[in-house]
Amino acid sequence: MRQNRFAMAVTAAAFLSLAQPAQAADPVVIGVSIAQSPPGSVVQGTQVKDGIEIITKMINDEGGVLGRPLKIVYEDNQGIPEKGRAAVEKLISRDKVVAITGGHQSSVCLAEIEVAHRYKVPYVNTNCWSDDIRAKGYPEVFNPGNYNTRVSTAMAETIGAMKVKNVVAFAENTDYGIGQAKILGELLAKQSPDVKYKYVALDRAGKDFTPAVLPLRANPPDMVVNVMLPPAAYILMNQLYEQGVAPSAKTWFYDGAGIADYPDFWQNVKEAGKYMLAFGLYHPQMPMPDIGQQVGQTYQKEKGHEPNRLIFQGADSVLQIVRAIEQAKSTDASAITQALKDMDYEGVRGKFKFSQEPGYSFQQWVDIPYVTYQLTEVDQPLSKTTLIQATGQPLHADKLVRPSN
Amino acid sequence: MLALDLFVNGLIIGLYYALMAVGLAMIFGILKIVNFAHGEFYMIGAYTYTLIALGLGVPPWLALPAAALAGALIGWATERWLMRPLYTGYGSWGLMKDEYAVVVTFGLSLLLINLFDKVIGPYPMRGPALWDAPRLSIGPFMMSGQKLITAAVAIILMVSLALFIKRSLWGRQIQAVAQNRLGASIAGIDTARASSIVFMASGVLAAIAGALLAPVINPAPDVGIFPAVKSYVIVVIGGMGSIPGSIIAALLLGVLESFGAVYLSYDYRDTYGLVLLILILLLRPQGLFGERAREV
Repeated sequence: MRQNRFAMAVTAAAFLSLAQPAQAADPVVIGVSIAQSPPGSVVQGTQVKDGIEIITKMINDEGGVLGRPLKIVYEDNQGIPEKGRAAVEKLISRDKVVAITGGHQSSVCLAEIEVAHRYKVPYVNTNCWSDDIRAKGYPEVFNPGNYNTRVSTAMAETIGAMKVKNVVAFAENTDYGIGQAKILGELLAKQSPDVKYKYVALDRAGKDFTPAVLPLRANPPDMVVNVMLPPAAYILMNQLYEQGVAPSAKTWFYDGAGIADYPDFWQNVKEAGKYMLAFGLYHPQMPMPDIGQQVGQTYQKEKGHEPNRLIFQGADSVLQIVRAIEQAKSTDASAITQALKDMDYEGVRGKFKFSQEPGYSFQQWVDIPYVTYQLTEVDQPLSKTTLIQATGQPLHADKLVRPSN
Repeated sequence: MLALDLFVNGLIIGLYYALMAVGLAMIFGILKIVNFAHGEFYMIGAYTYTLIALGLGVPPWLALPAAALAGALIGWATERWLMRPLYTGYGSWGLMKDEYAVVVTFGLSLLLINLFDKVIGPYPMRGPALWDAPRLSIGPFMMSGQKLITAAVAIILMVSLALFIKRSLWGRQIQAVAQNRLGASIAGIDTARASSIVFMASGVLAAIAGALLAPVINPAPDVGIFPAVKSYVIVVIGGMGSIPGSIIAALLLGVLESFGAVYLSYDYRDTYGLVLLILILLLRPQGLFGERAREV
């Protein structure tokens, strides 16, 4: 009997010792909810995914996280809030992910964070700009990406420095678009009360914006601002150009949606993109840590064209979760949340710590770097564009050029 | 001057709508079904034109007939493989399973959108212009050369279609099938072939619309959803199955949206058509040019 017990104990120990390494090699799973099919912005989703794939490979090549491989589980939210909500629910309850990231459309993020908050699972917002996401004050939601107030502040400063008097913004009818257009109006009213500003909301699924453009022909403003994403933004630009409204000798065209570095930008706008002034979250002349440069080079090698901001933002979101796990030495959700809150993070795009100030800056990388540049030739690569304002530097409006007609 | 600009723009947009809606109206008129994949015929035309012209370097004027051919093929294939089970074996339209057509065409729509998304990619792809004049002044009006050509081709196509339906043997057969499928069949008309021709013609019209607008709308896999929705509204306003009704309703909708967007509110631009639709359904349920029908 005693021998039998001894044999059973030895067998159990052998099983446990065999089982232990397998358990140690279980992957750490991060959930990514992005638009991989229409009607969502598949263009953005693809870029976020490309960045995530690059950094995941880099992390796994260096031994993974806490000695375990890193695994990404993707869910397609189709850019629809309800689908995003379901995707996050599934990632948390079925795939047992340790954190969620990838969000790149504000209306979807606003739905997803409700689920993450309910389960108390950390949610790293990759590219949802709406201030409302921050203003909710959810302790699980972290924002290393851009936000509407940041863009609008930068644009209001630029508009003030350019001394334009009459500005019309075209904004897509989404949380992001309307939110950004409204904030820009409020900031202009404070900083440059002489500027007459109005915004027009356009359907992001629209294909003809000519009726919105035609009234500007008779009475052209000094500047037209874009707060729309492709493909609607491209159609709007072509129609503004076709009607001779902007860019023109009288009217500047200023993009506040960060579309100039999209890989399909020039193919879709051609002449309409020349002389465009752009707010940018990435420019080859921006200082970038080694790891960021590595991500950019890998992307360029794999895809054959320059990277854009979303590649870096996607990569940064995952890297940040990994660093938090390493700092917490745990994959427990509350430990990761605490680590994200406390840590000084040096990532793909630079060094920062999340602000804890309530409102739009809650758990936000407040001083996210940006540049302002102008496209001066058709098919111009980003590296050849004219930098009007380098990161943290004053604006050089004297470098701007206008079309002759 | 702004009013005139808006009127001309509204007419041009109306012509684009008409190209799409007429094909849908034909299918409904002849087969009494709504093709929910009609927008994807348009998308296939836009992509065929763009990919052939940009990818193979074929001149745009030659890529246009290729797009028409692709439209005819998808129309033929849809009718032959997906629609024919609907009426094969049934002696009467009364026995037809309407829900079959809804489910099948809706499924086809989703399949095509996602197939193009995965195979071609999600990026919008602007097609080359047939007339590369992005900014053209014609008197007081400004428009691109492509828009002008599209409007002209749309008029030519719709006149040709009207002549085909009225004058040709096939056109008369189609009219007979539309009036009474069983009667036409007894009279010796190949009703399956007539249905096939209707689907092919519908595919050609939608595909040419997509190709002509490829330089204007920057096609992406879901590009057909928006014009398809407009087409459904137009077909009901014009009178289900009425081709002239669809053309008039399309022009009316184009002008209404153009004026409404400026003088009422741009935010509600897409609702003007729906308001008109509700009014028509309340006051003249058969549509502007539809005929009251009674089933026995």
